Amino acid sequence: MAAILAERRHGFGFVTPLLVVMLAAFNLPILYMLALGFWSKQGGFTTEHYAALFDAPIYLRVLANTLRISVVATLVNVAIGYPLAYWMRGLSPRAQFIAVACVITPFWISILVRTYAWIVVLGNNGMVNRLLQWTGLTDAPVSFLYNELGVMIGMANVLLPFLVLPLFAAMLRIDDRLMQAAASMGAPPRTIFLKVFLPLTMPALASGALLVFILCLGFYVTPAILGGGKVPMISNLLDFLINQIPRWEQASAVSTILLVVTLLIFAAYRALDRKVGA
Amino acid sequence: MKRRTLLAGAAALRLVAVIRPASAQLREMRMVESGGKSGESIDVGYAAPFTAKTGIRLVRESPGNLGKLQAMIASGRITAASFELGSGTMVQARKLGLIEKLDWAAINPMPMFPEAKNEFGFGYQYFSTIMAWRKAAKAPQNWVDFFNTKDFPGKRAIPDYPAYAIAFALLSEGVPQDKLFPLDVDRGLKKLLSIRRDISVLWKAGAQAPQLLKDNEVQYAIAWSGRVVEEPDLAYSFNGGMADLSFICTVKGAPKAEQEAMNKLYYEMSVPENQAKAAGVIAYTGPSPALDPLLPKDKIGMFPTAKANKDVQWVQNAEWWAENGESANKKWEEFKLSL
Repeated sequence: MAAILAERRHGFGFVTPLLVVMLAAFNLPILYMLALGFWSKQGGFTTEHYAALFDAPIYLRVLANTLRISVVATLVNVAIGYPLAYWMRGLSPRAQFIAVACVITPFWISILVRTYAWIVVLGNNGMVNRLLQWTGLTDAPVSFLYNELGVMIGMANVLLPFLVLPLFAAMLRIDDRLMQAAASMGAPPRTIFLKVFLPLTMPALASGALLVFILCLGFYVTPAILGGGKVPMISNLLDFLINQIPRWEQASAVSTILLVVTLLIFAAYRALDRKVGA
Repeated sequence: MKRRTLLAGAAALRLVAVIRPASAQLREMRMVESGGKSGESIDVGYAAPFTAKTGIRLVRESPGNLGKLQAMIASGRITAASFELGSGTMVQARKLGLIEKLDWAAINPMPMFPEAKNEFGFGYQYFSTIMAWRKAAKAPQNWVDFFNTKDFPGKRAIPDYPAYAIAFALLSEGVPQDKLFPLDVDRGLKKLLSIRRDISVLWKAGAQAPQLLKDNEVQYAIAWSGRVVEEPDLAYSFNGGMADLSFICTVKGAPKAEQEAMNKLYYEMSVPENQAKAAGVIAYTGPSPALDPLLPKDKIGMFPTAKANKDVQWVQNAEWWAENGESANKKWEEFKLSL
């Protein structure tokens, strides 16, 4: 017992440098930024920056818009990602390797490049619209871009790997014999999926979806370009407050509210998770 | 308490910054500017003669914004002697105490337009915000036409910057150019909302406007002049356009030697021959009234300060925007949510 404790203390020594760097270079500045939201120009404590947020609720409305888009984007990701991971599970090992490579490859391409690539594909003169018009399915180009649809497509493309990879890994761990056992008891495939397979993948699905959702909240490039500037997100607003005006105190207040909302969502997820677990 | 420790740290860093350049003769100094072709034009037009005369190399860094400048001052580590700022941003930087007052007697510049000779900045580059359209689309004559989506059908792209968009809507409502300020933001946004079905894109980056036009995503755009005037498929008009100035400013607390060197660079920026060289790189022009005869005759219509263009434009009111920018931006966000 004492030996284990000693070993632990010994291991801690190796972690200390990283811990110090994280604390000094990352956590302290963040705390400082958060504290700025309570700092008045004359010095001293104030809540005026928060009061300003509620007096002119436009920043909160943008935050609500961000939350709404993030929820929809997460649902879209789940709707695409779950069947994809399920399909990949059934492939031969070699085909699985290729499929995983296809999912991961976009990671290596800059988000900016990928976002602009969508303009080439989905624009009025893009490949999809030309094909649609050539086949006579539509007369005029379909507006895929510069609206929320464009933002959704772009965000799904960027975020899909974050959902698919953990989900796929979890699905691989599921023992095939469980499904076979259910089948031997006479359960039809639908029931097997709903009562056995789906519950087993639920934790991975939930944490993957949560990860995607939180990443959505901070999206900047994709909404700015594929949304044609018409889909306001909180990070674009923060850029304005930090870099253009600059009103760091106001930006700090907005960030704090964003952080609190995110933490609340995370807490709700944990509570739900524990309930399901119990 | 934490703030005080930070300030102490900042002071220590400042001390280091002071010791460093004093130990040797000034070999190079840094400038934060907007980059791209505009940055190249600084090299070709002004840095080259400056380095030839003083032996000091000008190292450019980009991009820059007010947040970066404020962070530089707050940390006490002045890494660049000069900073490029838009006219409105410069007024804000002045109010926040981020830039030095210029010593115009020491600079002793060649003749320049009065609005460019600011107490706190050297207006080195005129750029215009103008209307542009695909040559295939029906040509608008003025802002009334541009906002008339019935007779001039087509999608529009406008800047995602209230300071570069709202005033044009008011011009289309018949507000005279010299009565634009104080700007009636609500009325301008109402006009913009009335054509919301035809506003396809609000652009952030200057390069987006010409690209959207070329790709036929939009047929009409409000764009920055230097980005569209040399595009063969596009047409443009300076009529009712907005002339604005980019300023180079000396960063507050820059080392004395660098401030003195900056004065020499400012002088080079006032020489019309140098400005003509810079205009050869990007179709924006310097502040010399004697510049027109030095510009290529066949391209004279492209330049913001060419007499024929300068006469039909109006000048941005930076002071008004510095005062009212934040509240106008809140309304702008509101407008975007209702698009």
